[in-house]
Amino acid sequence: MKLTEDDIYRTSTQYRHWSFTHAQLDAKRLKSNVQASERVKAAVARHRAQRNLDITSESGMGESSMGSGTETGGNTPLAQGLDAEVHCLSVTEEMKLVDTFCERALQLGSFLKFPIEVTATGIQFLRRFYLLNSPMTYEPQGISKTALFVANKTEGHHLTLEKYAGAMSKTTPEQVQAAEYIVVQALRFHFDVRHPFRGLKGAHLELIEMAHGKAATPPNSTQSAEDLQNSMSQIPRKDGGPAAEWTVSDLEKRITDAYGFASHILKTTALLTDSYFLYTPSQIWLASHLLADEPLTLFYLSTKIPSDSDLHTKLLKALRACALLLSSHHTFSPAHSTPKEKEAREKKEKQEVSALLKKLKQCRDPDKLDLVKLNQAQKRDAVSDGGDLEESKAKRRKVEREGFQKEADEFWGPELPKNGNGAKGA
Amino acid sequence: MAASPALSPRPNPPGPGARPSNLNPKSKGLALLHANRSPATTKASTPNDTGVDLAEQMNDDVREQYVQGKKLGEGTYANVYKGHYRHDPTSLVAIKKIKINADYKDGIAMDAVREIKFLSELSHPYIIKLHNVFSTKDQNISLVLEHLPCGDLEALWKNPTLSYSTAEIKAWASMLCQAVWFCHENSVLHRDIKGNNILIAGDGSIKLADFGLARSFADPGRPMTYNVITRFYRPPELLYGARHYSSVVDIWSCGVVIAELAIRQFLFPSETDIQALSLIYELCGTPIEDNWPGVTKLEFYVPPTQTFTNGVSNAAKRAQPISVWKQRFSLLGDEGVDLLRGMLMLDPKRRLDARKVLAHRYWKALPRPTPREKLPKAGGGEEKMGEDLKRKGIGGEGEGRADKVARKLDFSSMRK
Repeated sequence: MKLTEDDIYRTSTQYRHWSFTHAQLDAKRLKSNVQASERVKAAVARHRAQRNLDITSESGMGESSMGSGTETGGNTPLAQGLDAEVHCLSVTEEMKLVDTFCERALQLGSFLKFPIEVTATGIQFLRRFYLLNSPMTYEPQGISKTALFVANKTEGHHLTLEKYAGAMSKTTPEQVQAAEYIVVQALRFHFDVRHPFRGLKGAHLELIEMAHGKAATPPNSTQSAEDLQNSMSQIPRKDGGPAAEWTVSDLEKRITDAYGFASHILKTTALLTDSYFLYTPSQIWLASHLLADEPLTLFYLSTKIPSDSDLHTKLLKALRACALLLSSHHTFSPAHSTPKEKEAREKKEKQEVSALLKKLKQCRDPDKLDLVKLNQAQKRDAVSDGGDLEESKAKRRKVEREGFQKEADEFWGPELPKNGNGAKGA
Repeated sequence: MAASPALSPRPNPPGPGARPSNLNPKSKGLALLHANRSPATTKASTPNDTGVDLAEQMNDDVREQYVQGKKLGEGTYANVYKGHYRHDPTSLVAIKKIKINADYKDGIAMDAVREIKFLSELSHPYIIKLHNVFSTKDQNISLVLEHLPCGDLEALWKNPTLSYSTAEIKAWASMLCQAVWFCHENSVLHRDIKGNNILIAGDGSIKLADFGLARSFADPGRPMTYNVITRFYRPPELLYGARHYSSVVDIWSCGVVIAELAIRQFLFPSETDIQALSLIYELCGTPIEDNWPGVTKLEFYVPPTQTFTNGVSNAAKRAQPISVWKQRFSLLGDEGVDLLRGMLMLDPKRRLDARKVLAHRYWKALPRPTPREKLPKAGGGEEKMGEDLKRKGIGGEGEGRADKVARKLDFSSMRK
């Protein structure tokens, strides 16, 4: 018995809850943005009113706003004077920030030497998080650290929180943990992310087998392994080009090059775009492979689906759309962009981002500035009104007591302490 | 699994116009939150703006669907409560509330992370259904699980008042093997299969539960921990400390579970890993390079002829002849014994995988498996009910039995 990849994918939370059309994505982001903007404005107004009240009562004068900005110091939106309009981020600006922090998470992952699935999952967590939240409410720098840490747990990588936080400057374990509940809640507790890496690897191995004339052909296939090898050796160099003549070893090199290129796209560009929301993992790796070597990919597809079938047309349409999404991202650098162009682009990018970060500072939700404090407050509540913590303590003590009793009853008595305490006594 | 009202759809993500309609107006504590539920386009200047995020709102909507009842059981890692859907008090659930563990510094417990991760992806008639997950304000995570009031497979063979035979064993074994096959098709290793992690539903079907130790298949070459699977059910490669192993570790456990059903006692009851190994040698023979190429390279492998310090002999043993297997596991029939031998093959490379297990002729041989509604189960029958009443005093409907669910749902306490 066997399930097809599609059967399995269709039951995944990624397909059921995190796959969207372009229009749905836009709508979600707009909704989060509008809600956050309203809330920031309301919260700022509330804080201002509150402070106004404080000033009034403290000074005993009926005077209002003037000069109060100096009292708070800091960089809260309040500092800029009471009547200043709060300029909220637009959806586009939010997206730009999220994209930027996805890139930084990618760098962080490689700095921490995380396996690519951990980083990749972390980045998708971050992107999923900001479908339902705005950077104005939860600033992306902190959230990205938490998201990556959660991914480290869900992927079973087991880097401890202490080591994780310790590896980064200006980061405490409390900060990383403070947003954990906020993040997992926004992820709707869906911890599994389906990646395209293994699919690509599988296709690579399969192509190599084909090149050697050893492909396992499906039972009802009209082509033998030798037929496949033959037609493979004639794949044109370029799409639409004339039939070429490949030796097995040249073909092997071509396949491996394509794999390397496609794999690089999957580990960078694909993670930084909306591809995971819009396409399935197999569409994503096929699209990357298409960008790497179109004739080879078309050949591969033709071994699975007849080129003249409707399904083939439909599939290719999806693949080309996905490929376009990938190739239009700035991290996708085809050979013809010069280092100078690249440098200029990066410089411009940097300026834009720092301007955005500046703007973000002015429109942060004042209620969510200090997540560590918020988190502590919630935990305090948990201790005071739920009896559970006390209960678990009592239970733990009981278990310890029983364990001790049991050990003591054993023939040889309890185990000796491990750390040389025994030697001291001797 | 289809027709249960318990499977009401999750609330949709807040797409345009996609708001759950079954909100209960009676819920009092949440009136404030509901006031804030209105689409974001309303004026946010309402004085009652409590700042509920979209995600928080979705979470609250999920939480609102359930009513938590009395506590059914307690473990070190979670408490289990009886619960039901607010709109339908007759559709029961078990609510597993993960405790905040002060000793674990890294946030949400890994058991919970793994259980949620894998159960959310696996939807199968013989795997426990995770209906939903929600958190409370005080950062407790709760898993809403299928309510399974009829005990577990271990309790079943231990219960002397229940009688069963070849066809019943085949039915249970078949459901178990399908569940495990489904996990493996989804690239998930369970890593803690044992009788008391296999729960029994009201309709007689079995449900594989407790995914607290599960993991996805590793990429080839990446090491995994060998310290998984309860010892009685642990395959020899893990007892030998293998860091690279495959899905057939679960098959070994299934083999042990099926054997236990047939002999109504533990197959490899052991206090230590060494004892476990010597019991395995007794039945399956001592692993050597001849019957398991590569075994001598495993970290904790001890070649035969040495003697253990505690006096247990380690002279090489031959596997018991097939006649002994047939005699001992007579309830499985000849085909069943053949399958069992395939599942308890020492060499993991030669052990059957889940696909091969399902393709085995045992399933097609006579007798046919008992239809699940005719399977005996604890919790049915007068005696069992009497027992429940004794245990629980008056004991409302099903409480005593449900108590069992609670205990079975939480085995992390025993793992330490």
